[in-house]
Amino acid sequence: MKNLPNLAVKQSLSTLSQVVLLSLVWLLASRLSHAYVPEIPAGVLGMFLVLAALALGWLPLSWCKSGARWLLAEMLLFFIPATVAVVQYPQLLGSIGLRIVLVILLSTVLVMTVTSLVVDAGYKFEILLKRRKRQHGVL
Amino acid sequence: MENLLAFACLLLTLVLYWLAKKLYRRTGNWWSAPLLAVPLLVIGAVVVGHIPYHTYFQDTHWLSWLLGPATVAFAIPIYEQRQVIRKHALSLSCGVLVAMPVAVLSSVWLARAFGLSELLQKSLAPRSISTPFALATASTIGASPDLTAVFVVITGVAGMLLGEVMLMLLPLRSRLAKGALLGAAAHGAGTAKANELGAEEGVVASLTMMLGGIATVFAAPLIAWFV
Repeated sequence: MKNLPNLAVKQSLSTLSQVVLLSLVWLLASRLSHAYVPEIPAGVLGMFLVLAALALGWLPLSWCKSGARWLLAEMLLFFIPATVAVVQYPQLLGSIGLRIVLVILLSTVLVMTVTSLVVDAGYKFEILLKRRKRQHGVL
Repeated sequence: MENLLAFACLLLTLVLYWLAKKLYRRTGNWWSAPLLAVPLLVIGAVVVGHIPYHTYFQDTHWLSWLLGPATVAFAIPIYEQRQVIRKHALSLSCGVLVAMPVAVLSSVWLARAFGLSELLQKSLAPRSISTPFALATASTIGASPDLTAVFVVITGVAGMLLGEVMLMLLPLRSRLAKGALLGAAAHGAGTAKANELGAEEGVVASLTMMLGGIATVFAAPLIAWFV
């Protein structure tokens, strides 16, 4: 029982150091993006760097897994400050705001309908392909 | 005095977030969803307290800063789910390639039809993808990142509320389609909902969300030309 808090501290320290590691990758990526490829945002460039390092085996998954899980789980917290910026746009209250909400609702329904029907069709096609492959295999 | 106020703002944001998360986990009430409750309460406090935005942002910008590392962190789930990507490459890429233009074009066209300004049209364009990707797209296409962030949150709430209705109305057979519906339309909020349906739906939703975000970032110059 005495070891339990110890373990929790160890785990949070390892998560913290992994968050620092991912932050360093992001800083490196923003330097690289600034200097060589301004078309690719730093975050996306950093993501591809980590993806490549994982695929090539240069970076063990256990070195970044819990840090990544924490960053993604708490992501909502990170964009709250940006949403508060809406106080600088008082003109958004009233008719304009209502129209914006309407645009978002209608567009969301459209995206949901089209995407899910296309993916459902794609899934049926995948099954068809698999079945055909199997039949050819038998022949 | 201003420094103290700025620090109090950071503290308030953290405490409200922690409380809302706890309450939502315990009760599951939609109104306590951190996505909805925390921005509303913080905005309310800033308005009532007449706190200038630059004071609020002085210390809380460290939270915004963490969105950068969070984007990098997407590499880990993508890597872990590479088998699923390989297995359903066809359906996933169809879903992403269809969802992305439908989301962007319908947002811009509807905004135009409703007589909203060009800045609002641009800021609505990347609203259906995950925040870090949406903000990256916003700065490329000359939209306001602040407004885009707000529209991303409203989209998340809309997706949470509409998702269940649409899943009932549409004749969907596969778990794949249900996950894609939530991930493509409502980013992180949709993915959370999809995880409630089942593990496969959750994985597909998060993949659609991440791949859709990346695809939109790369399509940003095209969007800028169009809007």
